[in-house]
Amino acid sequence: MSNNKKIIWQYPWGYSESFIIAITLMILGFAINYISKSTVSTIQWPLNLFFGIAIIILLLLVYFLFKKKPFLKWLSGTPAAISAICLYTFLVLLMGFIPQGSPKASGFIHEIGLYDIVSSHAFLFAQIYFLVVLGMVTLKRSFPLRGKNIAFFINHFGLWLTLFAASIGAGDLQRVTLTTNKTNAVYFGINHKGEAIHDLGIAIQLKEFNIEEYPPKAFIIDDKSGTILNEKLFYLENGNSGEIMNWVIKVDDFFEYGICMGDKFHPIYDIGAAPAAYVIAINKKTKKVKEGWISCGSFRFQGNFLKLSDGMILVMADPEPKRYSSKVKIYTTSGNVFETTIEVNKPVTVDGWKIYQSDYNHDMGKWSDISILELVKDPWIPVVYFGIFMLIVGALYMFWIGNKK
Amino acid sequence: MDILNFNNIAFITIALWIIGSLFILGDQKIKNGRLIGNLFTITGTLVIIVFVIILWIEIDRPPMRTIGETRLWYAVFLPIVGILTFFKWKYKWFLFYSLGLAILFLIINILKPENFDKVLMPALQSPWFVPHVIVYMLSYALLGVSSVVSAWGLYLIKFKTFKPKLLNKADNLVYMGFSLLTLGLLFGALWAKEAWGHYWTWDPKETWALLTWLSYLLYIHFRFRHKHKTVTALWILALAFIVLLICWIGINYLAVSGNSVHTYTS
Repeated sequence: MSNNKKIIWQYPWGYSESFIIAITLMILGFAINYISKSTVSTIQWPLNLFFGIAIIILLLLVYFLFKKKPFLKWLSGTPAAISAICLYTFLVLLMGFIPQGSPKASGFIHEIGLYDIVSSHAFLFAQIYFLVVLGMVTLKRSFPLRGKNIAFFINHFGLWLTLFAASIGAGDLQRVTLTTNKTNAVYFGINHKGEAIHDLGIAIQLKEFNIEEYPPKAFIIDDKSGTILNEKLFYLENGNSGEIMNWVIKVDDFFEYGICMGDKFHPIYDIGAAPAAYVIAINKKTKKVKEGWISCGSFRFQGNFLKLSDGMILVMADPEPKRYSSKVKIYTTSGNVFETTIEVNKPVTVDGWKIYQSDYNHDMGKWSDISILELVKDPWIPVVYFGIFMLIVGALYMFWIGNKK
Repeated sequence: MDILNFNNIAFITIALWIIGSLFILGDQKIKNGRLIGNLFTITGTLVIIVFVIILWIEIDRPPMRTIGETRLWYAVFLPIVGILTFFKWKYKWFLFYSLGLAILFLIINILKPENFDKVLMPALQSPWFVPHVIVYMLSYALLGVSSVVSAWGLYLIKFKTFKPKLLNKADNLVYMGFSLLTLGLLFGALWAKEAWGHYWTWDPKETWALLTWLSYLLYIHFRFRHKHKTVTALWILALAFIVLLICWIGINYLAVSGNSVHTYTS
């Protein structure tokens, strides 16, 4: 652009050419979605490996055969890089505003793929363009590799490797939900399309499901509308006292597992037992005293509340989980049988599967007789992590050096 | 609990910062004005740091869950960035800006009291939680300062007194902020793999964090090639910060945020 009166498409190419190419790629992608009425499907092992190797060879060949050509100078230059970043950013921006994966999607926006951008041809082309430009510039600075280019290489190649491995490996990612129970070992799971997957090579039986909970919160609510009136939080723990909405509340007794018999709660550990607290509430203005048992109840027993005044009742909310975990017995087709514990944020790896604690029966809460696990297989993760590791090193270096050259 | 009253702490901090700023502002006329001013601003910052530490212990989890709690961290990091850069570059406006913004965040937190709920959902209980949020808050603080450089630059251009050297200051802040942004994004990805089974799921917050990252990436590449096109650079920098703000705060108001794991309940 800065060259005086350069005719478009005359080398060296600049921003006009770069952006025309980027926009053409995007429109082409939309058009393919619109005409073919299809989305991009991922390729799987081992096809993706061959495809990946082929792309790497192609990039290297093109670079070394044509590195002196003006086309390649453009492809590894800043205008191409900026147009590639802009195209990618634009599509991600659309993703940031248009709710993705909308089930009722229809109409033109749907037909050009904007409700599922990740699987659209436009996004595929944007990603290819981004990876080709990033790949070329990495090659340009790497041969010959000079000391001052090492940081550049770590950042650019790290990003390239991460995106490349994540894209071509996407087809090998398997995520399966497995609902375990205590009576038998379950050997199949359900994938995100709702299909049963049988060849897991693994069977899991639930031995014990555990939830550790936070102390339950007390709320003053309007007994007609059910709306919560207090803003300040109050935790029901033995001996705790505090003030909410002019009521001084003291917890006189608290059972984590309580069952009501007659008009009194008793500490009994049995299926369906729920937290129960004996509270004494004193109104600061009227000095009126109210006391009694409150409980959040469970799937088996009814809850209990304390009437404070007309229209106002004191209730116990269901306690919220602090951590939950499953003790399970795992059988593998390779002949291993062992017990282990799977917790949120602490997955377990078995025969290439990473097993995550995912969910449980919320109606039954801590008495849940099932535990929902998620099994994830992602054979490309080491390559992606290597790229991420390079990016972390590059970022630390960048933080240390700043932009001082 | 009385010592921990947030309002009192916030007022003490704000007072110390304002007194410190006044001393620094008048350091030509007051003997040892700059030293005294520095002591006041540092003390104010220490007070709020100690408050965050006590709060952390008191609620038994990192205070990083709600948007109000992240504002609190912003009020911790901005003065730190401001004081350090003030020591390095001696720009008073820089310090006043970061203190002013930190005061604004404290005032918002005074007007919108937090409950400091103890509950932290199991997925957030991870060793990644603290580094993930801290690098982001520090990064936002740095990039926030760079955005003021851009606004100041655009203002100066209007009056034809802009000097390109100003953008070099912004560059340094952007490089530091961007590298922390990268770390935040990657720590988030590594954590997501451990907690949710995959490192990237295009969760709305992830999408906007990537957009923020791409915007600053664009700025860096544009600056790298076009050192003299300062006006365009200033605009990219200003727009990038708007993307950052949408990612940080605006996301809660977007239609897409429905099922994000990052939707803050406060």
